[in-house]
Amino acid sequence: MLMPPFHLHHPSTIEEACELAAGFLETKESFDWVAGGTDLLPNYKWHINVKQHVISLARVQGIDTISMHEIGAMARLGSIASSRDVHPLIAQAAGKVASSLIRNNATLGGNICLDTRCFWFNQSEDWRRSIDWCHKEDCGTGSDCRVIPNQNTLCVATYQGDVAPSLMVLEGLLHIIGPKGERQIPVDEFFQLDGITRNVLEEGEFILKVTFPEGVENRVGSYKKLRVRESWDFPEAGVAASWIEGDLSSLRIASTALESIPRLHQQEIDKLDGGFSTDKILQLSYAMMKSIKPVNNTALPPRYRKSMVKVLAKRCLQEILGDGE
Amino acid sequence: MAGGYRQQPGASSGGTRKDGKRVAGKQKFPPPGSGGSHPNMGPRDLDSIPESVGGKEPQPAGSHIHDRYRTGTEVGKPRALVDSYAKVTGQAWYGDDVRLQNEIIGKILRSPYHYAKIKSIDTSKVEALPGVLAVATGADAPNTFGVLPVTKDEHAMAVEKVRHVGDLVACVAAVDEATAMEALNLFEIEWEVLDPVFDPRKGLEDQDEPIHWRGKYHVGTTNVQKRVFQEFGDRSLVVDPTASSHGKWRMEGVHHGFTEPHAVVAHWDPNGRLQLYTPQQVPHYAHRALSTVLEVPMHQINVIRTFVGGGFGGKSDPFPHEMCAAILSRKAGRPVRITFSREEVYWINRGRHPSYIEVKMTADDEARISGFDIDALIDGGGFASFGHVTSYYNGVLATAPYELGSFHYTGARVWTNKPASGAMRGHGAVNTRCAVEVGLDEMAEQMQVDPIDLRLANLLPPHSRTISGFRITSNGMRQALERVREGSDWDKKFRQLPLGKGIGIGCGFFISGSGLPIHWDPNRFPHATVHIQIDMDGGVTVHTGAADIGQGSTTAVAQVVSEVLALPIEMIHVRSHESDTSPVDLGSYSSRVTFMNANAAIRAALDIREKLLNAAWEMLGYHPDVLVLNDRRIYYKHDPAVGVSYLEALHKAQEDKGSLISSGAYRSPPMGGVHKGAAAGLAPAYSFSAYIAEVDVDVETGLVSCTNVWAAHDCGKALNPLAVEGQIIGSCHMGLGQVLSEKMVYGRTGHLQNPNLLEYKIPSVHEMPHVTPIIIESSDPEGPFGAKEAGEGPLLPILPAVVNAVYDAIGVRIRTLPLSMDVVWKAISSKTRSLGGIEATELPSPRLEHSLLQQTLAERGAQHRERDRRRQRSEDTSAYVNGVLFGFDPDRPLEDQVEGWKSAVEPVPEQLAELGLAGKAWLKKEQRQMGGDK
Ligand SMILES: Cc1cc2nc3c(=O)[nH]c(=O)nc-3n(C[C@H](O)[C@H](O)[C@H](O)COP(=O)(O)OP(=O)(O)OC[C@H]3O[C@@H](n4cnc5c(N)ncnc54)[C@H](O)[C@@H]3O)c2cc1C
Ligand code: SF4
Repeated sequence: MLMPPFHLHHPSTIEEACELAAGFLETKESFDWVAGGTDLLPNYKWHINVKQHVISLARVQGIDTISMHEIGAMARLGSIASSRDVHPLIAQAAGKVASSLIRNNATLGGNICLDTRCFWFNQSEDWRRSIDWCHKEDCGTGSDCRVIPNQNTLCVATYQGDVAPSLMVLEGLLHIIGPKGERQIPVDEFFQLDGITRNVLEEGEFILKVTFPEGVENRVGSYKKLRVRESWDFPEAGVAASWIEGDLSSLRIASTALESIPRLHQQEIDKLDGGFSTDKILQLSYAMMKSIKPVNNTALPPRYRKSMVKVLAKRCLQEILGDGE
Repeated sequence: MAGGYRQQPGASSGGTRKDGKRVAGKQKFPPPGSGGSHPNMGPRDLDSIPESVGGKEPQPAGSHIHDRYRTGTEVGKPRALVDSYAKVTGQAWYGDDVRLQNEIIGKILRSPYHYAKIKSIDTSKVEALPGVLAVATGADAPNTFGVLPVTKDEHAMAVEKVRHVGDLVACVAAVDEATAMEALNLFEIEWEVLDPVFDPRKGLEDQDEPIHWRGKYHVGTTNVQKRVFQEFGDRSLVVDPTASSHGKWRMEGVHHGFTEPHAVVAHWDPNGRLQLYTPQQVPHYAHRALSTVLEVPMHQINVIRTFVGGGFGGKSDPFPHEMCAAILSRKAGRPVRITFSREEVYWINRGRHPSYIEVKMTADDEARISGFDIDALIDGGGFASFGHVTSYYNGVLATAPYELGSFHYTGARVWTNKPASGAMRGHGAVNTRCAVEVGLDEMAEQMQVDPIDLRLANLLPPHSRTISGFRITSNGMRQALERVREGSDWDKKFRQLPLGKGIGIGCGFFISGSGLPIHWDPNRFPHATVHIQIDMDGGVTVHTGAADIGQGSTTAVAQVVSEVLALPIEMIHVRSHESDTSPVDLGSYSSRVTFMNANAAIRAALDIREKLLNAAWEMLGYHPDVLVLNDRRIYYKHDPAVGVSYLEALHKAQEDKGSLISSGAYRSPPMGGVHKGAAAGLAPAYSFSAYIAEVDVDVETGLVSCTNVWAAHDCGKALNPLAVEGQIIGSCHMGLGQVLSEKMVYGRTGHLQNPNLLEYKIPSVHEMPHVTPIIIESSDPEGPFGAKEAGEGPLLPILPAVVNAVYDAIGVRIRTLPLSMDVVWKAISSKTRSLGGIEATELPSPRLEHSLLQQTLAERGAQHRERDRRRQRSEDTSAYVNGVLFGFDPDRPLEDQVEGWKSAVEPVPEQLAELGLAGKAWLKKEQRQMGGDK
């Protein structure tokens, strides 16, 4: 399938990138950021939401650091997965993304900003024409959502990024830059409920890096991913958890690939009577499952994915805490 | 080398003595050499020459008529496929690699509707777009075609109506792909949308607008394309069974998932002949269909088969896009190339039919299988394709390897508004086989016997006849079962593994070539023809129409010619790409190629061999009976120094004639019954296989991983063990896909939701178990050097082996394929609920305590083992037909011995009420019976 034409730009500094973006905002020309391209370009090939301009971050200097307390947006997942400097949980999660070939190109920034997915949407143009399009790329028709029809406001496409929940449970902080300057936001506040909006990035903004607090190295974590094929499938459900050994109150747990955003489950922990303790693993897992409402737009049915949250959470918690006996 | 031979290879110390004299037997062949890379004759490889003709190759299954043509050169040796060099160096030219001068690009406009009438098409805007060079619609090619002459229901592009999303509506050729794509948006079409049918069960009902109309043969006004009824045997045997199994299956459609998408290049040469390049499994049918659709005689079309990047049945229909390319090219006067996207590959489909299968079976008090009752409703999608045959295969290919008291089959194939199903590796046999083998497992459990012993005591012997009249010749089923049982340590594992770990058995039975060439009478024309031509250089050019689709047919042909003529394989050049030069061949389907084509090649090679031996006779004075062919040399049996080189003999044989030419053909012997449909499933030989699979089941998530497979397949004789093992391992992979993860998902709106390789879940290398391939050689009397098929049969047993292993692991029988994690989890959940809400980790594992019947079976199995050995080696040549196990006399018609022994192909009115799902198709009358007709 032929890729539609677009202009590709290659800034080599952060400032240059911001200027380019500011320019397009002013002239009202549409554009996308591209990092590794492993998510954006497959969609372009399907003629999905193609923009006039694409700004590549690949040559921007200095945003591919890899260390315990800071990972640049342009760090490749393959390098992260094999690095001994990053937190082992991040390495583990990055190593479970897609396949080794894709990880060589895929970046952390692209993974965080991964577009939401839906089997009514991630299809060729001919295919989407046959369902008369859908809300997320309606081609000017005002089409409805095919998953939950008759609402025409919300897209419930699924966020299937693997790394975000691990960033959340390690208290990651995103550093964002744009024409209006730099700002920071915790990863667990970055995502925004809607498959089209996806996150809080404003037009022209991009992610520079993720940083982690002092002491993150004391956290022990685990990420459990449910997928059909080990080799390259997107997660159908994923749960990450971490704690500082010996301190139950430090427990953080998050899920992904179940709804249009990944989620930190602080509420479910807080609601436990008397806080979390190791005999409440099943209770917490069950509460997480209850709080999640997947829809039918990925490979496996939503009821099944929902039930698996319980299993994944339990396994995650048992792994890091011992089995709670 | 033993001392007896004087003409020795290697000639290490040179061929001259110190005194300058030449050493007899260590001489180089005279210039221009005798071909091959080595100057001297190699040793005779006695290990690859059968015992029966003085060699050392053991023949437990007895001798073979081709033994005396064995030269120890190639047969039985692991050999990298001869075309693999082109493939690994990237030089193989697949469909989309063909680049002709001045080519333009064709694109197809596809239907956005499931089912609709085309009221008008306006192409004027398309034609006006700069860069567009040709436009075509259904009106340009109104003639119908189809792979089977009885069901020609396809057009190059829709005429009157479209039948599924993605059906071809029109096509356009332009200077480049971007222009062609832009042009697709400019067609103006008026549609009248019709009510689609997706559920095959609905297809059995009368409709206002059936998807196709078969005139006076149309079944009511339903969408039934084909219905089958077959009944054999004594139905009274099934009353009061000792064990019975009744399973209702739902099997999703699966796709071949070949690597290369369809691609075609069409070019009308300066003489006005069509040159069509296409990766076809069956170029000859495409040739015929092109001729019909384009209204051009066949001799004005040259079909050039490119390298084929996988077919598995998915490239064996003549395709509408092949017609489109030819039509566009004719209009534009330039070569046109069309390459599919993956979505288009799924839309043209021809994969395995989504099926509803119901199997009832019974066993009597001696654990004999008293009846199979099979009902198969298969979803054909929008076109007939191979469906007529599939409808039969779903039943008749279950009539072996077991001896049955009775057999009852009802099948129906219906059209629905989905991409057309067709032939896929294991054509028609796979789904029912799975259902049957799982039923046997269940009956074994009821009778408290080992399922392997149940099978071993109910096998048809070699040289016997199935209940439906198929002639079984060689039969290695028993050895296959014994070998996998031993290899897997079955007796220590079955029903003894902890929860979540399981082991299971499954068998397979498949045709080795279809007995009926679809387009002609096998009594008048051969199935396959091969030509050989040798010129003065000594290279052997073999012309065959056999389509190498990666399975290695070219290598097989080269190997057998090499074997007969005792020439190194690099001297054999197979030419098989063009219909201009290839003798007509039916192509690569029904696992016919090695059996039929290699047989034809042997015959052609024998003709050449005779000419060479006669020449040598003239030169040496020894009769061919005492001459030996070995590595580019012909010599006197008792004194190898007395001989001539191959080239000398060749040149002698060429005197007065020029190049040597021969032709060989293969015909199948007359066989089979006379009932309607008797030809379906008829084959000159059958392959047999038994697999044991081990699985791990995660009881909390339902994820099934297959960890180990012991895979025994009886291919008669492995001409190339490497290729056979490759087929076995590849079949495991493909079958595992169907049983564990692959399915064509049709969502609630009837759209195919996963037409891409990310969402259509083909197992990757991570999901592959360790496979131990075990080759069984039963030496088929009519196969080339004893060989039978190894391309499709090996796929069958993996499905039931895995399903049975999952039962062994978790004690839940699941009859929905694929056993994807959600399906298994659901089954486990309802089981734990039925057990009072226990945790999945507390499920009881099934265990086995043998009943008295186990002893009966073991004894009968042992007797049959001896019976089979004698029959295999022709020490016992008495007649054997299905029914002997039940005490009938094989020499008298069964109808005369048993009241109620039946052979029926239509239900009697009393049966109508009790027919299964597909059987309901028989409730309707055909139009002609209702006085209707169009
Ligand atoms: C076959 C296949 C399997 C896959 N499997 C998985 C999987 O299992 N798990 C998984 O998580 N992902 C998977 N992916 C998706 C993807 O490969 C990864 O998520 C990858 O990390 C994306 O990174 P990228 O650099 O290639 O992103 P790109 O494609 O370059 O970008 C993705 C999106 O993020 C935006 N973006 C990129 N960088 C930035 C930035 N610094 N700031 C702001 N926006 C930015 C882009 O504009 C774009 O919208 C798969 C993809 C494929 C093709
Ligand atoms: S969730 Fe609805 S709007 Fe979003 S991509 Fe899917 S069908 Fe379209």
